[in-house]
Amino acid sequence: MRTLRHRSRSALIVALALVASTAFADNKKGGAKPPAGGTKPAGGAGGGGKGSGSGGESGEIEMDSDAGKGSGSAKPAGGGSGVDSGEIQMDEDQNKPGDLSADLAADQGNVAVKTGEVKKTPISWKDIIVVIRKPFLKVRRTELYPMVGTTMNDNMIRHETIGGEFAYYLTDVLAIGVEGQYYVHTFAEPFDLVARQARRLPTVNQYNWSTALDFHYVPVYGKFAVLDHKLITWEAYFTAGIGVGQSEVVPRDKAFPGFTNLLIEPNLGANMRFFLAKWLTVNLGIRDYLFIDKYEPTNRSATMNATATEAQSHADSAFVNNIMFQIGLSFWLPTSFDYTTFR
Amino acid sequence: MNKTTLFVLALGALVGVTTTASAEPRRLSSLHDDVAVRHRRLLVSGRFEVAPLFESSIDADYQHTVGGGLKLEYHLGDMFSIGVVGVGSTSLHTSLVDKIVTTLPDAPNMTKDPSKDQFLDHLNSMPFHSAAYVSLTPWYGKLAAFSQAYVAFDFYFQAGVTFAMLKSSCPPTVCSDTHPGTSVMSGGDTIPPDNDPKNDPPLNDGQRVGLYLGGGIHVFLSDFLALDLTVRDYAFSDNPSGADFNADQFVGTSQTLGDDNRFLHHLFFGAGLSIMFPTTVKRTP
Repeated sequence: MRTLRHRSRSALIVALALVASTAFADNKKGGAKPPAGGTKPAGGAGGGGKGSGSGGESGEIEMDSDAGKGSGSAKPAGGGSGVDSGEIQMDEDQNKPGDLSADLAADQGNVAVKTGEVKKTPISWKDIIVVIRKPFLKVRRTELYPMVGTTMNDNMIRHETIGGEFAYYLTDVLAIGVEGQYYVHTFAEPFDLVARQARRLPTVNQYNWSTALDFHYVPVYGKFAVLDHKLITWEAYFTAGIGVGQSEVVPRDKAFPGFTNLLIEPNLGANMRFFLAKWLTVNLGIRDYLFIDKYEPTNRSATMNATATEAQSHADSAFVNNIMFQIGLSFWLPTSFDYTTFR
Repeated sequence: MNKTTLFVLALGALVGVTTTASAEPRRLSSLHDDVAVRHRRLLVSGRFEVAPLFESSIDADYQHTVGGGLKLEYHLGDMFSIGVVGVGSTSLHTSLVDKIVTTLPDAPNMTKDPSKDQFLDHLNSMPFHSAAYVSLTPWYGKLAAFSQAYVAFDFYFQAGVTFAMLKSSCPPTVCSDTHPGTSVMSGGDTIPPDNDPKNDPPLNDGQRVGLYLGGGIHVFLSDFLALDLTVRDYAFSDNPSGADFNADQFVGTSQTLGDDNRFLHHLFFGAGLSIMFPTTVKRTP
């Protein structure tokens, strides 16, 4: 009975303190440092709010002005739960949709609050992994990726491309997509120099278009700080695909017609994606399109390989790695997303 | 006090209150002026970086340049550093050269086609190149690979001056023209230029000074080891083919058409292993 009474008295004191703290909660800026044994707002750890509740000697709980937001309850700004209801609030985000930087700032605002004695348990602190949630979710979203590209490994003819890709993310790391590109070309300096200096006309093909079915895998993600102030998240992903394209012979002698080739083009790539908003990213990467191309035969005259069909039947084949650098903006649909896990 | 006076006083008070209210600075989060990352490991600040590296040219026209070298860099702070890089290398023919050479005649003939030796001996190589630079590291961060490996990284950009040694070795038997593009007097006779650039000395060897630009990434494997991946551009005057570029029928400097050497970019990809000294790191507050 004595023990029970003692506990009842303690509970009464705690209840009074809570009532007083609720009544006196005010927007005081810069709360005092939390002393040992201070009161921790319920749900604060999970909510990741900016505020830190602290119990002073008088029993008054000072709320950080940013966290208080005029409410009398000890509810963290970043979400979490209200003390009274005990409910876990999932839609804690007060940010506007698409405000990626606000989410990042909220994540950075997590302040550890020491609350009382720490009981030693057999589990080491090293066993507890603290991982903030990803600031950008892609699962079940569609990426619209208009892009431009340029040749990286052809010193005779340079191709620039304009194109785009639709990709649907089955999970947060796996996507399937369809891409298409249109090519325009210019001749590089050696194309003219070889003809003039070595007296040899180069045999080159131009590329007209290509399309492919691609699969994307995102194994790497991270964040970096720009000039020690602005945080930007990014990720790296790999691409593999299969597609078709068309190349066209550039005739050495304009008197003879060229011909086109339909190419089977597997591709491999590595890319980086930088997140600017919940609906906008910047992508850049390298893609290697592999194919066997057919080139104009060496000997063409009025009596040999004069027609396009004849020349194509005697064409020389060669394996080609067409490595392209690609860059573009990605637009994401839907333009926002909801988390299904706690912060 | 009449109504007008009261009105003026009330208006003045209102203006004063409004002014005071608007003069108050906007309330911001305490994190507004804070650094992006606290307790950050200073992986480069105040440290000396030694990086043995491998380097290969990107999209070279006639000769691939492949070699190894060393990068020495001192990081003055978290963002700025100064350094030097030097690479010794060897050269390999590109596929373009191989394709051309197989079609050339073995010996000079009466046509304008160069012989195999004339074509190959005019090409130059780059046995050594180096740069001194200042570096800016504006971005740093960390990444998770396969949700398992968490590593720090930074991006950096470099600019400076480059020094390169070029080499071409065209023997007198091949480059036999002693007065390319000019007339000479011999025994009272004037010998005009032969207008044949194939036998002119290539004039594409020696030392070059130019501009250097670079950009790369450190991926920290530990507190003192980092994978260093860099794209470098050594830009200087060069004529890789050693042949007549400006169509003035000789190799050299023309009064009207200029020099056959021109300002060219030499792109390289480098991969190295950076070792940081001291091997321990400090942390920010």
